Amino acid sequence: MTAQQHALRWLLGRLALQNLGRRKARSLLLIAAVAVGTGVIFTGIALMRSIDASMALGFTRMGADLMVMPEGALTNITAALLTVEPTDLVLDADALAKAKLDSVRRYAPQKILRVAHSGIGDHHEAVDFVGFDPQRDFTIQPWLAERINRPLQADDVILGAARDAPLGSQVLIFGKPYIVYGRLARTGVGIHERGVFMPLSTFDALVQRIPAGDGIPPAVLAADKVTGFLVELAPGATMLQARFAILSTLKGVKVVTGDSSLSGIRQGLAALLTGILALMILLFASLALMVSVLFSAIVTERRVELGLLKAIGTQRSQIVGLMIIEAAMATGLGGLLGVVVGALIMRFYEHSLVYYLDKIGIPFVWLDLPRVIAFGAGTILLACVIGAAGVFYPAWCASRRDPYDLVRGEA
Amino acid sequence: MLSCRRVAKTYGTDRGDVIAVEGIDLDVESGQFTAIIGRSGSGKSSLLAMIGGLSRPSGGEVIVDDTEIWSLDEAGRASFRNLKIGYVFQFTSLLQTLRLVDNVALPALLARRQLAAQAYDKAAHLLDQMGLADYLDAYPSEVSAGEQRRAVIARALINDPAVLLADEPTADLDEQTEMEIMDELLAVNRERRTTLLLVTHNLALAEQAGRIVHIANGRIVP
Repeated sequence: MTAQQHALRWLLGRLALQNLGRRKARSLLLIAAVAVGTGVIFTGIALMRSIDASMALGFTRMGADLMVMPEGALTNITAALLTVEPTDLVLDADALAKAKLDSVRRYAPQKILRVAHSGIGDHHEAVDFVGFDPQRDFTIQPWLAERINRPLQADDVILGAARDAPLGSQVLIFGKPYIVYGRLARTGVGIHERGVFMPLSTFDALVQRIPAGDGIPPAVLAADKVTGFLVELAPGATMLQARFAILSTLKGVKVVTGDSSLSGIRQGLAALLTGILALMILLFASLALMVSVLFSAIVTERRVELGLLKAIGTQRSQIVGLMIIEAAMATGLGGLLGVVVGALIMRFYEHSLVYYLDKIGIPFVWLDLPRVIAFGAGTILLACVIGAAGVFYPAWCASRRDPYDLVRGEA
Repeated sequence: MLSCRRVAKTYGTDRGDVIAVEGIDLDVESGQFTAIIGRSGSGKSSLLAMIGGLSRPSGGEVIVDDTEIWSLDEAGRASFRNLKIGYVFQFTSLLQTLRLVDNVALPALLARRQLAAQAYDKAAHLLDQMGLADYLDAYPSEVSAGEQRRAVIARALINDPAVLLADEPTADLDEQTEMEIMDELLAVNRERRTTLLLVTHNLALAEQAGRIVHIANGRIVP
């Protein structure tokens, strides 16, 4: 950019800024209105995402909605969490994938093997080995209370809360060393408390090394078999629908349902968040309309000035650009103010509501700082876009008119 | 060097069309000072606006410096107004939020034909010529109406236009200031050889012009 262009832009920028300062009350009201709107949007979205993340953690910790097991398997229906119990019976690993049920949102296959002598260290105590698919799992990993700061790998194991071994240390299981990747939080459910969890591939390799005399059911050794599936319902689906769909599609299975009220709460809260998001969009639209109407009036009021600018040779694009700069500065300032106020409100929440939730053991996951900053920057940018979009049409219309028509309007 | 051919202007209103200018032919020689006189509503300001590229004629041609200005596209006409035409309105036409020196330099910055520093130097020089050397940094509201009008003349001259159009430039000024402004305009016409078209209904002012054009009901009358 040449020094001359720079001087012109600086002059037009100053003109825009000074025009805002000329009508202080109106500019401040506009900035305040945009600040309130963007503040609500920023805080709302940041809190929504935090609640969403907290729900994702909290509800997955509530476990699955239902469980699909071999028909003859014994199940513990009194436990707070649905857990697959050890059994000699198995299902095909691809049974649910083949069924393609609309009422199932996701499912997690698990294999369980209980051995009388674990081979862990010197204890040789009874243990439940649980194999799970890390990509599909939603009932084990959400309970990780602590873990190594890297993704789960083959030959990693996760220990139940009652097992005592430092993270990153090695445990010998049937003579092979495994890395302790993490430990689950306390659930009060036996398998979760004392189990040893690992990826399915690790599980399949492990069971091959168990001595033949330990009474391992041959079916569990097969890689294409699983002990059962933990299932989460699709949004809007009911337990009854899913149960009926599974039983009518898969043969030789039984369906064990969990607490239906939890599923209802999960689905209800998800719908509530969607509703809040819709309200945010409506708020954004009304803010954009308000800014557009206001700037339409501002452009009309300033048609003499715009006419003078045209008369001395200002190009149409420069006229529109001038108005857009002015509008974007006002709404951007409002957006910045809104984000600052929103951040203070979030800080207040953190020291009040979230503090008490944490105290009673309800996890609340805040968005991390980079995301909060990104949301804030995005909100300010959005506010600028609202201003620019709001002023564009009236400015474009004004720029099309003859300078004399604009000047004569008020002269 | 300035020609109007069958120039007409009709305004559409709620009560029907109003003919402001009806097929005027006018030739003005380069460097000439022409006064256009007539009663209010006779069409003289509309004619000046069409000559200045500010208001599109309903019909006819306006040729300035061998260019038919209404055949140019919007961007070309904006550049033409910027470079070839200086306009002094009948009201204070400075941007109130800019200093006098910024107001005067702005057309030169828009023209992009000289460095910003040169544009500001020239603006300061013109304001000095108009007796406003002490008010370069003043805002329009900080100077008198006569001083504002002088600043407008300085702004009109910043790009050395071929034509200076003045639409009742002294309409709201006292008699003494009116004479001072007229002296400035006459000096511009005389010393710079800038073609000057002055719209006025003040006969005393018009008599200082080399030629008087009388307009009534949108037509030139003898």
